[in-house]
Amino acid sequence: MNSLVITRTGTHLTVQDFGRFHYQHLGVSPSGAMDQRIIKELEKIIPLHHNQFIEFAYVGPSIKVKEGSVKICVGGNCNMNIQKNNGTQIMCQPYKSINLFEGDELNIHNTIETVYGYIAVEHGLGLNPCLKSFSTDTRAGIGSINRPLKVDDTFEILEDVSSWDHLSIPNPTYKKETNFKVYPGPQLQFFTDQALQSFISNTFTISAQSDRMGIRLKGEAILSSESHDILSEGILPGSIQVPSDGQPIVLMRDIPCTGGYPKIAILKEKDISKISQLPPGSQITFDLQTIY
Amino acid sequence: MYFKGINSYGDRGMVLDFGDDSSKSISIEVNKAFSTISNLGLPLLNIIPSFNKIVIIFENSQIRDQNKEKITLEMSEIKSQSYKSANKTWKIPACYDESFALDLKLIQRLHQITKEEIINLHTSESYYTYYIGFMPGFPYLGDIHSQLITPRLATPRINIPARSIGIAKNHTCIYPKISPGGWNIIGQIPFDIFDLQNPNPSLFLPGDKVSFYSVNHKEFQQIQKKHFSINELIKEYSS
Repeated sequence: MNSLVITRTGTHLTVQDFGRFHYQHLGVSPSGAMDQRIIKELEKIIPLHHNQFIEFAYVGPSIKVKEGSVKICVGGNCNMNIQKNNGTQIMCQPYKSINLFEGDELNIHNTIETVYGYIAVEHGLGLNPCLKSFSTDTRAGIGSINRPLKVDDTFEILEDVSSWDHLSIPNPTYKKETNFKVYPGPQLQFFTDQALQSFISNTFTISAQSDRMGIRLKGEAILSSESHDILSEGILPGSIQVPSDGQPIVLMRDIPCTGGYPKIAILKEKDISKISQLPPGSQITFDLQTIY
Repeated sequence: MYFKGINSYGDRGMVLDFGDDSSKSISIEVNKAFSTISNLGLPLLNIIPSFNKIVIIFENSQIRDQNKEKITLEMSEIKSQSYKSANKTWKIPACYDESFALDLKLIQRLHQITKEEIINLHTSESYYTYYIGFMPGFPYLGDIHSQLITPRLATPRINIPARSIGIAKNHTCIYPKISPGGWNIIGQIPFDIFDLQNPNPSLFLPGDKVSFYSVNHKEFQQIQKKHFSINELIKEYSS
């Protein structure tokens, strides 16, 4: 038996995977890792991740091997070290496999100029899926673990490490993008040409009130000439909705399943991961792509 | 036919448009299309019906575009197709006791009617399940009797008890679990309507017919004690 215990939670620590699908018509959000590029990269080092990744935001957790040994890999741009059982401290890097033995503690300090980071553990975390996915939606209380992780949460990993060989990949270089090409939203016609012009020429600032449900933007108000209240309809992650205060919200992975605000635009799927990594205070702009 | 056409929604989604209005007859057409497309076995990730739209999401734009034609064809034939609804008809026990009906007094005052009249009006209609949304398993049911039409609470409650029955505008609903919300609470049902352990977790599906019958507090507790599973509830309360 091998086991891992959370000794410090950091912030927003949850279990995530590539998303929970086929249940949105029953009010269940897709959820899944905010930055799906990273868990895809981690797959190259820990192919036997069993779709059970730990996601953290800003401040990472500390995890300790309680029993046995495990092989893990951290993804994202972050600082970390290992406190060995014998008292020594060693530095370690993301995107390189790490072998941890009984008593070893991995401390992930913080993400650098980004928001989210991930931990993949070989053979997964010993969890059972919930509605065919391991992702956590803390607002709806759905998931293998239906809440954020806490200190003393323990994961039992039945299988032993397959090989102690070190594997690594070059750190993926994700160019920081702040200009997003967006497609017209279903209620584009709710906005006058003038409002659309402000939407694409203004700069918006990412607010600190952003989370897994949505990234709130601050800027000059974008007002609808028709209404900010529509009959609720199905919504997709990446949609940019505009409530009556005119401050757009980019809907993210823990999306409410239906929404009643007009959607001016929608991000490309691959840009959802990119925008998720921009910390509060980042300034962004949009370009409206009119032809599909 | 209310169906207007199919529009793209981002790089991997589409919207089936049934106009801008909302009515039971629009919803019946939406749910017929929802059921038909769901059963085509297309490689879609989610299909989400609402009052007058169906949103479908695919893995990427290529798969979306490959399937657009099939869906267009299906929509053009849907009118002539005979439709065998798999929907259920529910008779759900409801307790309108004051301990559960947090806003009954408010509605009595607003509409100048008695508690008994409210219960009679709420239990005399068979409601249509427009769609499931807002939170897992939450059914939008309607339409309620015109004498019961009530605006949402001016200040939403922080905690509405699980299983509460609400009314707002011309709809009625059941809260699957404790939640903040602005619906006027008029009673409670004695069992859960969403079960994460079940592969079909929601008791109600879009298009189901739902009516309520009044039970007293003692009967309510007796049913509550049985801790019915979703499958037992289907046997006991639907046809």
